[in-house]
Amino acid sequence: MMTGFNRKFFQWSFITAIFAWLYLPIVLLVVNSFNDSKYGHEWKGFTWKWYEKLFENEALVQAFLNSLLIAGLAATVATIIGTLMALAIHRYRFPLKGTASGMLFVVMMSPDIVLAITFLVVFIALGIQLGFWSLLIAHITFCLPFVVITVYAQLKGFDKHLLEAAQDLGASESRIFRLIILPLVFPAIIAGWLLSFTLSLDDVIISSFVTGPSFEILPIRVFSMVKVGVSPEVNVLATLLLIISLLLVTLSTLLLRRKY
Amino acid sequence: MIKPLFTFRYSVIALTLFWLGLFVLVPHVLVLIVSVLSPDPQHLVVWPLTLDSWARLFDPLYLEVFWYSLWLSGLTTLICLLLGYPFAWVLAQLPAWWRGVLLFLMIVPFWTNSLIRTYAIKLSLGNKGVVNSLLVGLGITDEPVELLYTPFAVVFGLVYVLLPFMVLPLVASFDKLDKHLLEAARDLGAGWWQRFRHVVLPLTMPGVIAGCLIVFLPAMGMFYVSDLLGGAKNLLLGNIIRNQFMVVHDWPFGAALSVALIMLMAMLLWLYFAANRRINRQGGLDDDGI
Amino acid sequence: MKLPSLLATLLVAAATSLYAEEKVVVYNWAEYISEDSLAAFTQETGIKVEYSTYDNNETMYSKLKLQQGKGYDIVVPSTYLVSKMRAEGLLQEIDHKKLTNLPNLSISLMNKDYDPGNKYSIPYLWGSTGIAVNSKEIDPATIKGWADLWDSKWQGKLLLIDDLREVFHMALKKNGYSTNTTNPDELKTAYEDLQKLMPNVRVFNADSPRQPYLSGDVNLGMIWSGELIMAQQENPDIQYIFPQEGAGFWVDSFSIPAGAENVENAHKFIDYMLRADVGKKVVEELGYSTPNGEVRNLLDGKYLNNKVIFPPAEAVDKGEFQKDVGEAMKLYNEYWEKLKAGK
Repeated sequence: MMTGFNRKFFQWSFITAIFAWLYLPIVLLVVNSFNDSKYGHEWKGFTWKWYEKLFENEALVQAFLNSLLIAGLAATVATIIGTLMALAIHRYRFPLKGTASGMLFVVMMSPDIVLAITFLVVFIALGIQLGFWSLLIAHITFCLPFVVITVYAQLKGFDKHLLEAAQDLGASESRIFRLIILPLVFPAIIAGWLLSFTLSLDDVIISSFVTGPSFEILPIRVFSMVKVGVSPEVNVLATLLLIISLLLVTLSTLLLRRKY
Repeated sequence: MIKPLFTFRYSVIALTLFWLGLFVLVPHVLVLIVSVLSPDPQHLVVWPLTLDSWARLFDPLYLEVFWYSLWLSGLTTLICLLLGYPFAWVLAQLPAWWRGVLLFLMIVPFWTNSLIRTYAIKLSLGNKGVVNSLLVGLGITDEPVELLYTPFAVVFGLVYVLLPFMVLPLVASFDKLDKHLLEAARDLGAGWWQRFRHVVLPLTMPGVIAGCLIVFLPAMGMFYVSDLLGGAKNLLLGNIIRNQFMVVHDWPFGAALSVALIMLMAMLLWLYFAANRRINRQGGLDDDGI
Repeated sequence: MKLPSLLATLLVAAATSLYAEEKVVVYNWAEYISEDSLAAFTQETGIKVEYSTYDNNETMYSKLKLQQGKGYDIVVPSTYLVSKMRAEGLLQEIDHKKLTNLPNLSISLMNKDYDPGNKYSIPYLWGSTGIAVNSKEIDPATIKGWADLWDSKWQGKLLLIDDLREVFHMALKKNGYSTNTTNPDELKTAYEDLQKLMPNVRVFNADSPRQPYLSGDVNLGMIWSGELIMAQQENPDIQYIFPQEGAGFWVDSFSIPAGAENVENAHKFIDYMLRADVGKKVVEELGYSTPNGEVRNLLDGKYLNNKVIFPPAEAVDKGEFQKDVGEAMKLYNEYWEKLKAGK
C-alpha cells in the first residue's frame, strides 16, 4: 500500500501535469503577444506594439466587451432557468415532460449550423430584431442542456426523504427549493455557470447567424479576420483576460479566505 | 382545495415548456418538415413532399462517416473520463477553497478564443514545435515525429477542448460523496478496489453519466478540431451537414442528415439507459424516456 | 406666427433625425478595409459606417437569403456568389451615374461573365490561387504548373486548400477544361485525376494556408496570393508560381443587397472606396491587388513590381474566374465527399 506521502506526491504531479498541458498553448499566446513577429512562428524580439495597437482598435475592444457581457448574462440566465428546469424534470410530473427532456438532448445533438438556421428563422418569424436580444436568447438556449444535465445529476444523488420530511412539515415548494435544494446543488450550479460562460464566449457559427450589425462579438470578429490574418492583438486580449482572471483569484484568496 | 395557478411549481413547469417549445421544438419540427420537401438551389425548398432525401441517407458513405464520427467521439469521451475522473477525485479531496480556485484555473484557458488557441496547439505540435523540440532535444527521438495532421492530433485537440466538460460535473458529484461512508467501508474491511467499486463509483455514477453525455454529444458535431488539427483529410458528420446547407444549398438533405443523426443518437442513448436501468438503476436524465 | 415657427421646429427636428440616421451598414470580412479611410469617410460625408463582419461568403449568403436581402447596405461577395445572388434577385442594380470615380477602374477586370456590364457588382480587391514553394527546400524552377503536384515524389507532402471548387480547379485546368464546367464527363475525369493526387496530400487547409508553410510543416502546395504576401513578410523564401495551366482568379466586389435601406449612402460609400487615394491606402495596408488603374499611378515601385500583387497580363489571360455552377454543385460535392472518404 502506498504511503501517505507517496500518494500526495503522485496526486500533485498528476494535477500539475494536467495544468501544464492545459496552459501550454496559453503560455505560447502570452509569449507571442510580446513577439515582434506578426504570425509568431519565431521570436523576433520583444515589443509592446500589439498592446498599443489593441487600445487603438476600438472595434475589437468593443467586440471583446460585448462578448463578456453576453457570456455573463447568458450564463447567469441559463443557470437560473436550467436549474429550475432540472428541478421540474426531477420532481414534478407534467404533460410533455418526456418531450421536454428530449428537447434538451436535441439542442446538444443538433449540429451548430442547424441550430443557427433554426434560431434565425424563429427570430425572423417572431419579428425579433437581430442584435443583442436575439443573441442572448440563442446563447441561453444552447447553454441550457449543459446546466440541466449537471444540476440534474446532482439532484439525482440526494436523499428524497429530506424533501419529504420538509413537505410533511408544511414547507412550500419555493421554500423547499430555496432552503434545501439550492444549497445541496450549489456545486453543480457553479459548474453549470462556468460551462455556460465558456460555451457562450466561444460560439461562432450560431452567433454569426443570429446577431445583427449593431452588436458584434469577439469570436465572429476573430474568425472573420482570416482574409488579412488574425492579428496578434487577439493574443493581447487573451493575455489580458488571463491576467484579470489570475488577479481575481489572488484577490479573492486574500480577501475571503479567512472565512474558511 | 384548488391550487392557485401561479404557484412556484406551475411557473417552473410553464417556463420549461414555453422556452423549450418555442426555441427548440417548433424550429426542429420545421427541420423535420424541410427534410421531406424538395431541394431547389434558388428557393432553398419547394413542394412537393418527397422522401428522396431520406432515401439518399442509405448511401454506405454516410454510414461510414457516421461510424468514424462515433468512434472519434467515443474515444475522446473515454480518454476524458480516464483523465478527468482521477483529476476530479483528487480535486474533491482538497479544501473547498482550493478546489474552487483550481477548477476556476482549469477553465480559464478556455476563455481565450478557440481559433487562436488552436493555432497555438498547431504551433506546439508542428515539426519545429515545442513538443518535437523537446523530444529531439531530450534525445527521445532523432527526428521530429509527425504529430500534426494525424488522427492523434485530432483526438489530442478534442480531449483538450472537452476535458473541463467532464471534470466539472464530476467534481460536483464527488462533492456529495460522504467521507463517513468510505470510513465505514474501510472499518468493515473493504479493500481499495472494493471501496471504489461499491461505494465511490455508484455514488458518483450520475456525475460520470452527466460528464460523458456533455462530452460525447457535442464531440459528434465538432468538426473544426478535425479540420484544423487533422488536416481535414476525413469527413465528419458535421462537415457533411454543413456542406449541404452552406455549399450545395440542398437544405432538405442537410435537414434529413441532421434529423437522422439526432434519431440515431437518441436510439443509442435510449439503449444505454435501458441497459443501465436493468443493471443497477442508476442513471442520468433518464426518467421518462427520451 | 405660431404656425410657421411650429413648422420650422418640426422641419429642424425632422432634419436632425434624418441626419442622425445617416448611416451605411457594411457587411464584410474583419479589417478587410482601411480603418482610417472609414473614419475619413464619416468625417467627409457625415455618414456613419456600421461595420459588421462575416468569416465566409456562405454565411453572408445564407443570412441575406433568409432575411430576403434586408439588413445590410453593402456586402462584399466573391465572383461566383455575385452571379448566384444576382440570379436570385438578392442584389439591386448599382446606378453607375452616381459613381463619379468609376472610370478609375481598369477595364481588364470589368464586364466579366459573372456579372456582364457590372450592373450588380463593383470590383474592390482581387487575387489569385496559385502554387507556393519554399525555395530553401525545393527549386522553384522545377515547378511549372498544377500537373507537377501529381508527381509521386511529393507523397504526403502537399498542402491543398480545403475548398472543393479550388481543388477541382487544378484538375479541370490540368485537363484543359473550364473551372466552371457543368459537364459530368469532364467532372468525372477531374475526379479520377484527383484520386491520384490524394496520396500526396498532407493537409487540406481550411483557415490560413500560409501557416503550414511558415512553420515548415509543408513546402509545396496551393496558396492564395494575399496569404502569400503575408507569408513573405515573415519568410521571403516562400515563392509564388502562376501555374502554366492557369491560376484561379477571384474578385471581391461591392454589391448592394435588394433590401438595403440606405441605398443612396451605399452608392456614396462605393464611390468613396473607388477614389485613388483610398485605394492606395487599402493596397498598402492589406497587400491585395486592386482593380483601380489610378491607384497604380500613386503606388511606389515596391508594390508595382510585385508580380503577386500585379500579375503579368498573360497569367491573367490564362486564368479563370469562378462562376456559380448551379445544380452541378451537387455533383462536385458528391465527388468531393468521395475523395475525402478515400474512394
